[in-house]
Amino acid sequence: METLMVDRVQSSLRLLMYSNAIFLCERLCAEFPSELNLQLLATCYLLNNQAYCAYQILKGTKMPQSRYLFAVSCFRMNLLHEAEAALCPVNEPNAEACNLSTMYFEVPNGAAGHYLLGLIYRFTGRRAYAIDHFTQALAIDPLLWAAYEELCALGAVEESNEYFNDVYAQRIQQQHLSDSSSHNSSTGSEYCSLPPSAAVNSVDSVPRQSKQFLANSTREISTLQQGVVFAKVQTTNSGTSNLSQFNTPSPAATQLSGVAPPPLCRNAQVFLNAASSDGSMKSNLNLAVQAPRRKFMDEGKLRKVSGRLFSDSGPRRSTRLSAEASIIANSNAPQVGGNGSNHSAKFLGGLSSSSSAKANLASSRSLTFKKGQSWIAESFEEGRRPEIFDDSRTENMATTSSSISMSADGRCLEQGKATGDLAHDSRLMSGTQELLGLLRIFGEGYRLSCLYRCQEALEVYLKLSQKQFNTGWVLSQVGRAHFELVDYFEADHFFELARRVSPCTLEGMDTYSTVLYHLKEEMKLSYLAQELISVDRLSPQACPRPNWCVLPMPMYQHMVHRYVPKRKKEKRKEEEEVKEESVEEDGVQRVRKNKVVEEQEEAVEEEEEAYQMFVAHSGWREVGGSQWHTYKEEGTWAMGRSNWTARNGGGPCVYLSKDWYVTLEDFENGIKCYQSALQADDRHYNSWYGLGVVYLRQEKFEFAEHHLRRAYNINPRSSVLMCYLGMALHSLKRNQEALEIMEQAISADKQNPLPVYQKANILVSLERYDEALKELDQLSESAPHESSIYALMGKIYKRLEMHEKAMFYFGLALDLKPPAADVATIKAAMEKLYLPDEMDDNL
Amino acid sequence: MATESDGEEETATATGKLTGSPQLSVDDDLREMAKKAAWSVSSCKPGNGVLSLRDENLDTYWQSDGAQPHLVNIQFQKKVKLQLVVLYVDFKLDESYTPSKISIRAGDGFHNLKEIKTVELVKPVGWVHISLSGNDPRETFIHTFMLQIAVLSNHLNGRDTHIRQIKIYGPRPNPVPLQPFHFTSKEFITYSVLR
Repeated sequence: METLMVDRVQSSLRLLMYSNAIFLCERLCAEFPSELNLQLLATCYLLNNQAYCAYQILKGTKMPQSRYLFAVSCFRMNLLHEAEAALCPVNEPNAEACNLSTMYFEVPNGAAGHYLLGLIYRFTGRRAYAIDHFTQALAIDPLLWAAYEELCALGAVEESNEYFNDVYAQRIQQQHLSDSSSHNSSTGSEYCSLPPSAAVNSVDSVPRQSKQFLANSTREISTLQQGVVFAKVQTTNSGTSNLSQFNTPSPAATQLSGVAPPPLCRNAQVFLNAASSDGSMKSNLNLAVQAPRRKFMDEGKLRKVSGRLFSDSGPRRSTRLSAEASIIANSNAPQVGGNGSNHSAKFLGGLSSSSSAKANLASSRSLTFKKGQSWIAESFEEGRRPEIFDDSRTENMATTSSSISMSADGRCLEQGKATGDLAHDSRLMSGTQELLGLLRIFGEGYRLSCLYRCQEALEVYLKLSQKQFNTGWVLSQVGRAHFELVDYFEADHFFELARRVSPCTLEGMDTYSTVLYHLKEEMKLSYLAQELISVDRLSPQACPRPNWCVLPMPMYQHMVHRYVPKRKKEKRKEEEEVKEESVEEDGVQRVRKNKVVEEQEEAVEEEEEAYQMFVAHSGWREVGGSQWHTYKEEGTWAMGRSNWTARNGGGPCVYLSKDWYVTLEDFENGIKCYQSALQADDRHYNSWYGLGVVYLRQEKFEFAEHHLRRAYNINPRSSVLMCYLGMALHSLKRNQEALEIMEQAISADKQNPLPVYQKANILVSLERYDEALKELDQLSESAPHESSIYALMGKIYKRLEMHEKAMFYFGLALDLKPPAADVATIKAAMEKLYLPDEMDDNL
Repeated sequence: MATESDGEEETATATGKLTGSPQLSVDDDLREMAKKAAWSVSSCKPGNGVLSLRDENLDTYWQSDGAQPHLVNIQFQKKVKLQLVVLYVDFKLDESYTPSKISIRAGDGFHNLKEIKTVELVKPVGWVHISLSGNDPRETFIHTFMLQIAVLSNHLNGRDTHIRQIKIYGPRPNPVPLQPFHFTSKEFITYSVLR
């Protein structure tokens, strides 16, 4: 009964019927309250986005898997310290299931655990620890892209060659095997482990890794123990407590039909055949999972997860991910198959149609099955340790099962050969290398763009194949690189492509909206905002990461502009209360409610909605009671709440509010926001820059210089930053330095006219008028519509007492319609042209 | 010519045609300035103090409680450029409490306030826009530390006065700090700020 329930739960999970799974699992736990079952229940809750439930269930549990799940739920609930405590307890209490390797199990779930721990450290601001753990995660699992990404974001990656190196190829191969074996042992089905791994070049020629995990436990041969022992992984024979639940007998056929997941249709056929032919054989555990996955993070998380976990989380992810356009086309397709040894053999055979499969049929060994042996030998001859069989109990093997497995073996081999599986080892090797090569390019590109060496990053991305390049991730990365290079048109172009390729990818869309904001593409921005909001609405909880944020300032501005009505909230609340009262009094009144009231009601709802969405999607958390502030400023509505804090906020999330504060000249709050943004991510150069500009405005030039220099050190190729740094230096009267840095800025980006203008400005203050005029003259060629150039020229000619020319240039400047403030100053300057320089402080 | 006709309109309204409008309409290149300023009034009735002038709520009002003229003082932290004062008054609700003659004064402090504008209101309901600009383009803005709004008389010879909101607008600051002039071309603006 237990096994049946477990299977039903897992199949529900696979089919994304979480509530069903939760219900069943609760029954299961009530009936058989083991920790493994609790884990399953917690997994159900986690998948159903109910981290708080999982938290409740798992609190105080000790098994590594439980601790990992507990940490995940803590993490999702923002209880970072508890999560940390769960991941690294003072004493390692568990000796039972984690004796595979001490290295792997210091932190539960190896790479995934380290990754999670790294994230926790990062959010709690312990950079060194975070880097350490991400590096460890990468060392354990060289393909853990998410950890690499975090490392890049922390600016800790020197050379991407260090990672994704070919050296790791062997490691990865071993890992596949150790994965399967450890996986087997953790499920407690070490009787007949069949850990094959395969490299697949799938039809679309996308390099793909496919893994197969086969977990078998057969009641008849339950006394048999065979462990496959690899380099670091020692399968232990200690009968784990988890075994029992897998060993309750149940008809094989039912289970097979119940378990076989949709993607296994091909194989299911074989399964059923096998089941019918071996009907007499009672196999208890039938787990067959095919989970094509792309994300290495997932891989990491799933690694060494018990078989059940595989069977539930794998397919869920797979379906989720397969819905997206393949961003990283490296897909791993692990297959977890747990069934009677004979079934698995067939299963393998069936699989071989899509992949080169290697089967290590443990049971066959004792049978001296020649073919099988030779095949096994073949499969393991390269770069892998031959398996050492634990012979201690082989003699206990029941003859029936052996004979069956023999026949199964034969069938397997036939099928395997029929599909022409040869040279799988070299394929596996080349597959890994190919994958690593691909990741190297991605890694290099991402690293460079994190270091803001965008030009180089672009070149690296161009090395990608067309297929890879035309994916949402790459396109938006390229867009972002162009954005950082202040090439907004190109950025727009690539973001547009990215949106066309994967309209529902929200990553990078915040940058896109900023691009549109810069380009003053109000229509497009509006449209984008609307679209993204509609995407959001469809999947309100699609954000597993707490720092996820798609609504940056300009977009938010748009949203608010649309939604926030002009009257104050409290007032409307009162109105609402009044309305509610009237509704209570009699229903008739409700019908007669006049249109104005209805509109007001709608407005309230819309505002609430806008606010809710903002909160939900930006990762902002409200702390303490606070009031709404609405400002009509700068021609748009801004909405903010006092006493906000962003927990776990990535930079952009905090960043978005501060621009408001600064444009509203609320410098205090602006500075606070920038600082909290920097707390979350001290490599967020925009925040350093923002602080610098605030100080510049407040005329605290020393501070301004310091902050701008920090920004400049993070992104040393930005001509805009250089230009601002030069301005700060100029204000500090360090004109020589300022001039040098302006020169640097000019050479860094020929397109940027501002450093030239600023240089002229500095020259004016140095009274080197001729040079300044020369610069401005050239500048007016490239930017003929810039009124400030002419105004400045007029000012210089006025100083030089060349009144005619001064008048001419002031006139030109006025023609270009500067804002009213400038009109006033220029006109004043014109009128006083023939008077001595008394208005100099004005100009 | 344009400035002249503007001036004529202003003088026309200044001689008593200000009636208020239901919409608060302000040019895009202006912004509210007085958030950081220190606000004070010559007198007030308890519960209808100076805060009512700035609470964004049109249902509350400041009510004076003393002899005329009733003064609202706005002191800024630094010298600012101002262009527009907007009041919300409602003759329908406030009747004899509604101001009819308002004088606006500016200066460095209480000691040297100079009158820069006097307006008359006629049964105003809504936002009353009072421009501070002179006729000369150089006098588009007034450059001042302090602004004083004096209610010289009310409708129907009322003694105390009601004002529901006051807003003060000045030109927007240059988005790029420390620049003598605003940038106007797309090329310059694109490069002028990071986000």
